[in-house]
Amino acid sequence: MSSDFLELKNLSKFYGNIIALTGVTTTVNPGEVTCVLGDNGAGKSTFIKILAGVHQHDEGELVLEGNKVRFASPREALTAGIATVYQDLAMVPLMSVWRNFFLGQEPKKGVWPFRQIDIDKSKMIAKAEMAKMGIDIRDTEQSVGTLSGGERQSVAIARASYFGARVLILDEPTSALGVKQSGVVLRRIVEARDQGLAVIFITHNPNHAYPVGDRFVILQRGRSLGNWAKDELSQSELTQLMAGGAELEQLQHELSQTSAN
Amino acid sequence: MNESNVISAEQVAAGDSAVADEPLDERLALRGPIQQLLTRPEIGALLGAVGVWMLFWLVSAPFGTVGGTANFLDVAAYLGLMAVPVALLMIGGEFDLSAGAMTGATAIIAILLAIDVNGAGLGLHLAVPLSLAFALAIGWFNGTLVEKTSLPSFIVTLGTFFMLIGAKLGFSKLFTNKVLVEGLDEAEGYDFWNGIFGAEWLRNGHLWDERRWSGFWLLRDEIWAGLLICGSLALLLGLFELTYARRSKLNVSGVVIALAGAAAALVGFGALLELDGRNSNIVYGTLTAAGMIAAVAGWCRARYERPDHSDSGVSPGWIKYLLAGLAAVGAAVVLAVVMNAEDSSQLGFFGGDFGRALFALGIALVGVLAVLAALGRVSPGYPAIGAVLVAVPSISFLVTVQAARAILFGGLALIGITLLWSAASRVRPSVWVTGAISVVIALLAFFIQSEAGSRKIRVELFTLLLLVALVLGAAAVARYLSASRTSAPPPPAFGRWTQICAVLGVAATVIFFAVEVADGDAVLYALITGVTKGGITAFIAYTLVTAVFTLFTRDEGVGRALVTVGIGTVMLAVVTRMLFVTGAELEKICTVGSDGELRCPQTQFGVVVLSFVVFAAVGSWVLTRTQFGSWIMAVGGNKEAARSVGVPAARTKTTLFMLVSGAAWITGMLIAFRLTAVQADVGDGNEFRYIIVAVVGGCLLTGGYGSALGAAVGAVIWGMISQGIGFAQWNSDWRFLVLGALLLVAVLVNNYVRSRAEKAPVKSGATVPDRSGITIIVPKGLTRSKEEG
Repeated sequence: MSSDFLELKNLSKFYGNIIALTGVTTTVNPGEVTCVLGDNGAGKSTFIKILAGVHQHDEGELVLEGNKVRFASPREALTAGIATVYQDLAMVPLMSVWRNFFLGQEPKKGVWPFRQIDIDKSKMIAKAEMAKMGIDIRDTEQSVGTLSGGERQSVAIARASYFGARVLILDEPTSALGVKQSGVVLRRIVEARDQGLAVIFITHNPNHAYPVGDRFVILQRGRSLGNWAKDELSQSELTQLMAGGAELEQLQHELSQTSAN
Repeated sequence: MNESNVISAEQVAAGDSAVADEPLDERLALRGPIQQLLTRPEIGALLGAVGVWMLFWLVSAPFGTVGGTANFLDVAAYLGLMAVPVALLMIGGEFDLSAGAMTGATAIIAILLAIDVNGAGLGLHLAVPLSLAFALAIGWFNGTLVEKTSLPSFIVTLGTFFMLIGAKLGFSKLFTNKVLVEGLDEAEGYDFWNGIFGAEWLRNGHLWDERRWSGFWLLRDEIWAGLLICGSLALLLGLFELTYARRSKLNVSGVVIALAGAAAALVGFGALLELDGRNSNIVYGTLTAAGMIAAVAGWCRARYERPDHSDSGVSPGWIKYLLAGLAAVGAAVVLAVVMNAEDSSQLGFFGGDFGRALFALGIALVGVLAVLAALGRVSPGYPAIGAVLVAVPSISFLVTVQAARAILFGGLALIGITLLWSAASRVRPSVWVTGAISVVIALLAFFIQSEAGSRKIRVELFTLLLLVALVLGAAAVARYLSASRTSAPPPPAFGRWTQICAVLGVAATVIFFAVEVADGDAVLYALITGVTKGGITAFIAYTLVTAVFTLFTRDEGVGRALVTVGIGTVMLAVVTRMLFVTGAELEKICTVGSDGELRCPQTQFGVVVLSFVVFAAVGSWVLTRTQFGSWIMAVGGNKEAARSVGVPAARTKTTLFMLVSGAAWITGMLIAFRLTAVQADVGDGNEFRYIIVAVVGGCLLTGGYGSALGAAVGAVIWGMISQGIGFAQWNSDWRFLVLGALLLVAVLVNNYVRSRAEKAPVKSGATVPDRSGITIIVPKGLTRSKEEG
């Protein structure tokens, strides 16, 4: 009945008698960015873990392309096309960019006892995929540890989209970054959206969320305050809904500078 | 609604192009191939191995012969056979402290199970596989326990270590009532298994019969020097291809200069070989050198784009480096003249009160500086200065005057050349300073030649140093004449030819093998000969294909193939130098028997050396080229990350533990069949040597980074030092001091080189690149399609 790609209906999760998350309802569609906002302890992590298959929901429904689903493991979620880019990014800092890009899914060539990684192909694809994200890595042999936070984020996003992710969950991608770097990552989000991915953008910063988001879910102390489309909500209302103040206006100022850059 | 805050796609694209215009210069800072080579973990160990070999070769006549090679390779092989899998395990983030005890345990189990008297009497056909099963089971147990309990492997394997020690002693006493388990050679099936684990092939004996190889290989020095020169040239040209931007059309005048230079070099070299007088050496040596430089210059002019020399200038401090470098080289020369080259008495000149005072001062300095370093007041490198003050008087008891002269001369010359190199890198364009450095090295070479008493120094060291000077000079000329690439060249386009060469190699291997077997040789020997000759056939074919592609096609990617050919040829040169004898050496060591036949002492290489080489090669391939290798680095570097992208971390680590215990089984069998009787404590304590050797080879103790090849080279260094001290007749009481110092130096050099090489070069005029070396550019498709739409 629903044409929505991924639908969350009254999703709830309890740890014993603690209500971690309750009554979350929203939709996620290709080419759209759904922002999940909330302060620390609002239930954002639980939300991600349910979608990523680390935990399972206790109440409510998760509907993917019209079918009710329940992910038993991260691998199942990944197979269904839901890729999560965690805050700690799941990268091996001492390994090169291309090795990280293909880790776990290395392209191979040759017959069995001599089967090896197709290194040239790996490097080429990694370079091309990063270029699609607008980043020119001269040497994919350089280690990920030498990249900045935003660039690592880009590697993780490029990796997820290359391996057939249809839904991309970004866990606080801007929280550890400077203003300029945050602008870069927001650009990546827009680009991922334009490539036809459904993006779930988890953040506690409404000024980062509003410019890129098409739909907003606000969590507070485990409860959903609501689910709005962009035209139902102005930036100031969004900020008001979050605990706001003078420093947010400062941030807004900074963001407008970034976007003008 | 605040529209201005909405970042639209158009704004994104506009923002991107704004970013793209700004750091154009920064993109010029492509990480060069030499820098990439220097970040390899094993590079320090490789250089160290060359240095150590040259040191002992200088001070001991037999060390540099095939007999000396066999001697230190044997020690290195027993160590390296284990060090390679231990290095893989360390890269995977774990230790196995039971690895040493395990080698002895498998030997004892095999013997106790096989022998009839005081044993189980199963015979070797059952006992050998059973001991393998035991080893793999312990490896699996170690791995599973570490994974299931998340306890540090240090603790778990320490437990296994003590259990194995106890079990070895307990069972030995229980069965035989002795701490020695013996009688392997009387067990059933001994001949069959001894044919595998006890096999040896003999140089100058049956297997490496002189007549087989004919007199051709007696020209060892000519062959290896030629291979070394050709290999260095190929390597140099390959590095040029990777570094410099290709012209769209060949420059004809460049081709003419290159051909003329090559012809002059050939004439000069030919005359050098024919004539042997000091003056003619200088004349024709100069002609050869000038010809080679001209050839390289012509090649660069013909092939690469011309650079923009507008960025000339000097960075502050270059004159300081220049003066310091010249001073160090001068000091080296003075020292070499003052100290007696023939004096083989113990040095020990810091033995008196002065030495004691210096020793105490050194220890005090180490302490103070270490405290300061810990407090963050000085760089951690400074305690090393104090350590040197301790080490100098200590080592002076170890070495002879002769050796000290070689060490000091080599060390000072090396420091001087490094300083001069630093000076050169501060001057743009640096061709004159680099050229001057190569002249300094060439002068050093001539100085050494005039000072040298023996032929090996006159010929071999002179050739080597001259080659270094030439390579540096050629590199400087090329750098002056050619513009750097702005993006990495593509791989060579002759993949199909590579496959044809590989097929040719396999076919040649089969044919050579069949011929040897038809001649009635042992299967193992036939196999080694077949693989060697087949491999060389394939390599020659690959070299020819590369040469054809380099000279007659416009394939952009031949650089990598040239580097491969260069490294292969240099390796062939090293193997030739190590495994063959010259006619002069044979005359010294052989006697003519009463029947008129030449009798030469035999040099033995056990199957352990073969296993070591195979392990090093396969281990290196697995680590760098296969999926499993990637997984090893990943679980060692960040286990959670690896797991979250689908790497089976537990299985990877358990496999590694089983690999180590499997290698311990092979080592155990080799020990058992060599000695036929095994002490209960064989192998105990070796686990730390394996770890040390792996660290010397560039493995991080914390996991995630390292090299299997490096560990193998580390084992060779260990073998060379522990045997070389005996060859040089030094006081071996101080041996472990050298080995300990070696470990520290290796770690420091590794750290330093890696941190230096990972920084991108800063060119004049360019903005200082950020650490990442990444530039943001506009993806072309994105903006175009936006504009059209």
